[in-house]
Amino acid sequence: MTFSDETLMAYADEELDATTRAAVEAAAAADPLLAERIARHRALRARLRAAFDPVLDEPLPGRLLASVRAAPEAPRPPRVIALRARPRWSWPQWGAVAASLVLGVLLGPLLLRPASAPVDTRGGRMLASATLARALSEQLAGNSGAPIEIGVSFREKSGVYCRTFVVHEAQSLAGLACRQRTAWQVLALAPAENAAAGGGYARAASALPPAVAQTLDELIAGAPLDAGAEAAARARGWNP
Amino acid sequence: MTIAGVRAELEALLPRLRRFARALSRNAADADDLVQTAIERALGHAGQLRSDTQLAPWMFGILRNAWIDERRARTRRLRVFAPEESAAEVADPRQGVPDEALALGEALARLPEEQRLAVALVLIEGLSYKEAAHVMEIPIGTLTSRLARAREALQALLGEAGAHR
Repeated sequence: MTFSDETLMAYADEELDATTRAAVEAAAAADPLLAERIARHRALRARLRAAFDPVLDEPLPGRLLASVRAAPEAPRPPRVIALRARPRWSWPQWGAVAASLVLGVLLGPLLLRPASAPVDTRGGRMLASATLARALSEQLAGNSGAPIEIGVSFREKSGVYCRTFVVHEAQSLAGLACRQRTAWQVLALAPAENAAAGGGYARAASALPPAVAQTLDELIAGAPLDAGAEAAARARGWNP
Repeated sequence: MTIAGVRAELEALLPRLRRFARALSRNAADADDLVQTAIERALGHAGQLRSDTQLAPWMFGILRNAWIDERRARTRRLRVFAPEESAAEVADPRQGVPDEALALGEALARLPEEQRLAVALVLIEGLSYKEAAHVMEIPIGTLTSRLARAREALQALLGEAGAHR
């Protein structure tokens, strides 16, 4: 019995009905050339899979993740904070953090206004207040016109997530907070320039004071998160 | 299906959509553009989905249509701006033996569009003949004959040497 190449192909693709399949198997057992033709069909399929399956393991591009996920409430402007190349500091990164903390203490009077204080102090640490913590946990980076804006999100060297923020007020404050187990610890905080109204996204850039920018430079490992990575981190509750 | 449900399923399907697109379009960035276009179209039509619609074949169909549209647009552009696309696609023999994936991508790119689709759906994505015929909107007999011709062409392009690797 002879089989067309289409039948052999369908056999290799497991598309034949039981009767035809049995007939092909019987014939192939007796005919090495037929068995060879079937093997070629199978080999081609295996080869194609081997070549294209690695695509499945590639990290998903942020833009694709962003497009399948729900659109953010406000359109996202491009990131504008230009990061300086990270200098190779010889002293511990925490030096800058400590300096910022001192700054934070000096800022104390600014923070004591009851309704709007963005940080609470607990056990000698500055933690984001409820309102700031909510913004840090929920908002994506970008100039949304919201009272609190997120500038850039990134991973610190130990893997924890950190974000810069600006609290817009009569005297705006810019800072940097890193996610601890249950809270956002504020590691830098400084008065920010109040940009002119309608400053667009330039506002976020001009609002990052040198002390905060330096802390960011000190802490950041690699590049800031892109939109997709940021959304993914948020989905994981900012757990490293 | 709720829109949130569609989004979640689409996200789970992303790796396969990317693989399918990569089989159609050799350039990885072009392939991802194709996936993005398909997602946007799908979300625009998600309201038409019936609860029993299988998302994967539906998405493959949308991606296929997006690809055909893109090919047509590209062909029009090429007619206006450049003499021939294929000249740039022929591998330079002096580069030595291209790696396996490259060789397969190149061989696939030489197939007629409809054959390439059949290979991508059945041999790479593992759809049954029936599902693939449905995605391509053709009778199953047409699908099998295209697939058979595509396999023959691929074997010839790739040569015996690699067939048993």
